[in-house]
Amino acid sequence: MGMSGKTGRRAVVVDGLRTPFVKAFTDFTKLDTIALGVAATRGLLKKANLGRRDVASIVWGGVILPGTAPNVGREIALDLGLDPACEAMTVTRACASGLQAVTLAAAAIERGEADIVIAGGSDSTSNAEIKLPQKVVHALAPVALGKADPKAILGAVGKLAPFTDILPTRPKIAERTTGEVMGEAAEKMARRNEISRAAQDAFAARSHHRAAAAMASGRFDEEVTPVETSEGKWVHADGLVRADTSEEKLSKLRPVFAKDGTVTAGNASPLTDGAAAVLLMSEEKARALGFAPRAALTSWAYVGVDPADQLLMGPALAIPKVLDRAGRTLAEIDLVDLHEAFAAQVLCVLKMLGSAAFARERLGKGEAVGEVDPARLNVHGGSIALGHPFGATGARMVTTMANELVRSDKRTALLGICAAGGLGAAALLERID
Amino acid sequence: MSDVLLEIGRNARARAVVNALGLPIPLPVPLRRARGPWRERPLADASVVVGASAGAELAPVIAETLAAAGANAYLTGSDSIAPAFVEPGEAYGRPARALAALGENERVAGVVFDATGLRDVAGLHALYETFHPLVSRLARSGRVLVLGRPSGKGPAAAAAQAALEGFVRSVAKEVGRGGATANLVRVEKGAEARLGPVLRFLLSPRSAFVSAQPFVVDARTKVSEENPPFVRPLEKKVAVVTGAARGIGAATARRLAEEGAHVVCLDRPGDDGPTSQLARSINGTALLVDLGADDAPARIADVVRSLGGLDVVVHNAGITRDKTLGRMSEKQWDEVISVNLGAVVRTHEALEPLLREGGRVVCLSSIAGIAGNVGQSAYAASKAGILGFVAGLCPILAERGITVNAVAPGFIETRLTAAIPVAVREAGRRLAALGQGGLPEDVAEVITFLASPGAAGITGRTVRVCGGALIGA
Repeated sequence: MGMSGKTGRRAVVVDGLRTPFVKAFTDFTKLDTIALGVAATRGLLKKANLGRRDVASIVWGGVILPGTAPNVGREIALDLGLDPACEAMTVTRACASGLQAVTLAAAAIERGEADIVIAGGSDSTSNAEIKLPQKVVHALAPVALGKADPKAILGAVGKLAPFTDILPTRPKIAERTTGEVMGEAAEKMARRNEISRAAQDAFAARSHHRAAAAMASGRFDEEVTPVETSEGKWVHADGLVRADTSEEKLSKLRPVFAKDGTVTAGNASPLTDGAAAVLLMSEEKARALGFAPRAALTSWAYVGVDPADQLLMGPALAIPKVLDRAGRTLAEIDLVDLHEAFAAQVLCVLKMLGSAAFARERLGKGEAVGEVDPARLNVHGGSIALGHPFGATGARMVTTMANELVRSDKRTALLGICAAGGLGAAALLERID
Repeated sequence: MSDVLLEIGRNARARAVVNALGLPIPLPVPLRRARGPWRERPLADASVVVGASAGAELAPVIAETLAAAGANAYLTGSDSIAPAFVEPGEAYGRPARALAALGENERVAGVVFDATGLRDVAGLHALYETFHPLVSRLARSGRVLVLGRPSGKGPAAAAAQAALEGFVRSVAKEVGRGGATANLVRVEKGAEARLGPVLRFLLSPRSAFVSAQPFVVDARTKVSEENPPFVRPLEKKVAVVTGAARGIGAATARRLAEEGAHVVCLDRPGDDGPTSQLARSINGTALLVDLGADDAPARIADVVRSLGGLDVVVHNAGITRDKTLGRMSEKQWDEVISVNLGAVVRTHEALEPLLREGGRVVCLSSIAGIAGNVGQSAYAASKAGILGFVAGLCPILAERGITVNAVAPGFIETRLTAAIPVAVREAGRRLAALGQGGLPEDVAEVITFLASPGAAGITGRTVRVCGGALIGA
């Protein structure tokens, strides 16, 4: 079973650590995605007591990549002063980037390419680069790249007229092919799958309550490392979780994406700054070094759907694939962790998984994938409450679930993530004794 | 050559002026057409109303087709069809709702009425009940689709089923002013599973110029592809289009190529320029052959053999030598019959052995071949001959999964119709229910549909592409 068949090697999750997740344009505004990645990775190396020569590779995920240094993983390694031989790459698969980094690391280990790999991801919405329209870029190219004589400058100015469409554009998370903003997609899915506002608000409130309880219990202490801001302030805990929210409070918020809509700022994940890192090793190496491996990645799957249809339904297709590959059924799974891009999107995916009609028509299966018991789902909250630094979320979920398997003595945890472009991702974590 | 009234109709201000002056000019509505290749969901977010007579049997196919094609179904009349919509609605996130759930001022993109249960004359009342409140709510280029059976059991049922055709033809004239179409599909028992792609096509903007047309879906032809693809349906297929240099032939070659086919563009050596240019632009093969030449069939077969086989043949090449019979020379008569009909038969005979399983043959006929036209006795004879050819050929090829059909264009804006005298041309345009001429692309869309694997239920038939008229070249 699993991906380890070929070499007999098994990749294991040894540990994981993340920065606190805070609202964009607050405490971490001056820390870019590299600085956040450095903070999480430094903390993880220290926690695991690894030296600068121990890590063979960094695999990093990110969505808003810095234009001048898109290989964030390599910058993290250099900034940390790791041995130059620690090579690195950076992957992007929208909101599944963090999970993609983890599964790539696991695959590399199981192929025998490395023994110790750090995988993770980060994003700083606060440092999204304001893009200049292509028209400006093309018009200014002769000035910037050639000799900037008056004629070239005049020529460039001429090309820019009229000046109405050369203003920098506000960054927004819209689909390139359809122009649809993600919230609009969630709104559309809620309507089409008949998910009520009340159900969304109830789900969002529960996410906050569970995350707040996890924080209060000290449950996150082992996976969150304090970060010092450039102003010298130490941030110790997640900044977006609201213990005191309620369905009633959330129900008062106005819908954002449609006049008579149901998706609000309260039942969607907020723009967030943060980073998360996971330490993966070959099982043999981990045991040799005296680590107690927490979990292995039994199977994973990435899928694509038409972004013009139901943009965020990917997990409903990826999850059955992962279960099939692992030879499991949903009923056998102990914990389910779904990325909460929107409460509506999670509820849609759950409805699809529970639908026999969906299974027959869309999966070619005789019966529904299965119902997910709310008691097993997102047990410590999710992206709505904790926030969603795009590239970090997958790595956060892997760490939280690996820890939860050990703490609560469970066997299996199923992860599901939806991502821009109509992508979906899922992975199955299995506890290691 | 351009259609002045259509241009005025396109311009909101000019339209307002014509209306304000109270001029008795029926301005045609510009038709909504599709661009680019087929899509997975051609009916994305369209509101389609579905009704049925008691005992109707097609609800499962309608429900599945609408949901998968992206339409939102609104049900009217009895609740008997609702259960069939539950599962597809859930699977595709398109739950069917009661018509009342649609705002009263909202337009509907289409109305589908399943009359397969219609067994007596009294049952016809359901047509009135369903369409009376909806006909004025039909969107621009909306669709009316009535589904029936080819024959009823007993005279009363036969009368009721036959009544559907008169109804659809008249509704087509009524809704045509808004650019909308009305069509009838008769589904043979046992051919229900082949209806889906036909529904998809007729409800989509691709059937823009098909109206007042009865279709028959039957199970005569063997099905060679179980789940026909709706995107790039002609991938890995080889097609031959004769008369590809311009007009309908060129539009067809482009559309077939867009859906993935490798197209052999065939035309006369004299049309080397446009034929080669077209072949280059669609990555096809140019073939310059005079279809009248004795070695033409063998030469075409050679090229097809070098491409590994053949899946689609479109016999489009044709000529007109319009003269009243009294003034027509013997040579003119012979030319028309030989190119329009003789060459089709000869070419087909050479290509038939090369056609692969699931192949498609489409022959261009003409409304003139159905209705007749002054000065077109030879032309009409050749084009009516095509109808007999496809009807006679289809049973022979059914075993191999090959369908054979004729397409009969009405007034299409081409070089041929541009040569018609002004008054006749105007009449030709305005006689259509849609009040305008069609485009070569409209015919190409129908041919492309008939060439697709999903059209396995239509064979031996003639499809008019005339905007609901019976006049044209």
